Amino acid sequence: MIQRLYAHNYRCFENFELNLKDISSCLLIGKNGSGKSTVRDVLEIFQKIGRGTNRIRELLTPNDFAWGKRNSPIRFELEAAVEQQIFKYEIAFELPDGFHELRVFEEKLSVRDTVVYSRKVAQVTLSRTHANSEANFLVDWHLVALPIISASSEKDPVQVFKTWLSSLTILSPIPHLTHGHSSGETLYLAKDGSNFAEWLEGLLGTYPAAYTRLDKTLKQVLPDFVDFQGVPSGGNSRKLVVQFARDKQSFRVDFEHLSSGEKCFFIWSAILAANAHIGGLFCFWDEVDNHLSLSEIGHFTIALRQSYQQQGQIILTTHSEGILRRFSHENIFYLSRKSHLEPTIVRPLSEVYKGRNIVQDLILDDIEL
Amino acid sequence: MSANKYEPHLVVLPEDDANAALINGFLLFAGLNSRQIQVLPVAGGWQNALRVFLDEHIPKLRQYNQRRFVLVIDFDNDSNRRDIVLKQIPDEVRDRAFVLGVFSEPEQLRSALNRRFEDIGRTLSQECFENHHKLWAHQLLMHNQTELTRLNQSVRDFLFP
Repeated sequence: MIQRLYAHNYRCFENFELNLKDISSCLLIGKNGSGKSTVRDVLEIFQKIGRGTNRIRELLTPNDFAWGKRNSPIRFELEAAVEQQIFKYEIAFELPDGFHELRVFEEKLSVRDTVVYSRKVAQVTLSRTHANSEANFLVDWHLVALPIISASSEKDPVQVFKTWLSSLTILSPIPHLTHGHSSGETLYLAKDGSNFAEWLEGLLGTYPAAYTRLDKTLKQVLPDFVDFQGVPSGGNSRKLVVQFARDKQSFRVDFEHLSSGEKCFFIWSAILAANAHIGGLFCFWDEVDNHLSLSEIGHFTIALRQSYQQQGQIILTTHSEGILRRFSHENIFYLSRKSHLEPTIVRPLSEVYKGRNIVQDLILDDIEL
Repeated sequence: MSANKYEPHLVVLPEDDANAALINGFLLFAGLNSRQIQVLPVAGGWQNALRVFLDEHIPKLRQYNQRRFVLVIDFDNDSNRRDIVLKQIPDEVRDRAFVLGVFSEPEQLRSALNRRFEDIGRTLSQECFENHHKLWAHQLLMHNQTELTRLNQSVRDFLFP
């Protein structure tokens, strides 16, 4: 679970700190432009690093400096509890005069306050090796070190942390891009959900028991749902076909022809199944209310929160009253900024709001930070 | 689909955000069939909750005979509050209408227990499931005992299958 997320001098974030210790599910709310999706983008940088992206220009550009403040580093910090250990990963980027691409200024991974490796610009110091001695080596300063530091075993802290970072699920589904075709399988779901079919194949191929949970959830939201299949569609490709039935009549439809909301039901059901079977997953779902009917929003939210109450961690963002009402003030973070020239402020809603009708007061814009 | 209105289901109307937070916690108990519960937007005061219930939801209780309805309101230290509400409910639907709440207000319960609203709600839900009413016996909640028994008889089979 993420315990703390910090970002400085990145877009609208200046000393931005989100404390999530012991929070299994929470909601980020705030006006348009307040920075909710920027939290997603910061997490995506960590996810990409975990999945092996180490070239800085694939993570950040000079335009990401807050208000063009290029004389101060962009800094990110992530503290997380993973396999009962507390990891802290810090990385800072700078753009010296004459450079066109950012370079790493500092980088450090610690576990239980013991430094695993640290880095200043190109010089990396690995604190522990097979011989239990320190190792020093150089890394191109345009590359992040974490993806290229090799681990001695699956239990090596570097490997444990990289594996966890790579498993971060960040979602902002665009249903019309979720076509249901696959030509392989993956355990990484794309942010826009476009590779849902491949991800589903990967999930069920690795964790076949997840189908039972997936089936049960889908039948709750789609009572006439029977099953789905991957049907060959030429070459190595397959397409997802869904079967519905009622009163002894059945109907098969290509997944790509389901409605946007129905596709989101599939993604949601699969996320629940993945969390139940893979265990301890982190998910950030941006504007989760998109495409969901009013009668389903509350159940959808409670089901997600119930699942992540057992294990894992989920952060949602929303503008929907229906989602908002399924979180208590204690589990809501309010983001705000006074103008585009000022940084985002984030506070737990319970600290800044003592009223009794948050929806009404949000409509009236009566929340003050 | 959400709670089928022709199958047994429960509609809950909270007075305000604090009561809604207790309800959220109740819903989060894993042993609860939360899909058979639909929670309405907060009413904004117990009298608003009563008015909305009488004006908008009594006709629907008549129409959907599998619907149960719970108002979750502050009692503001008034032991007559439940009777005030129940007396205004027509006879033909009164057996499916219920009133529960903290004897003063939820904030006092939270302070007394030093626990979050959702934690409190989850425990209350678990106690309903286990039929073991320890927190429900708290001095700020014990006035609900008779109503809780009545509600339990009406909803237990489909909420805690």
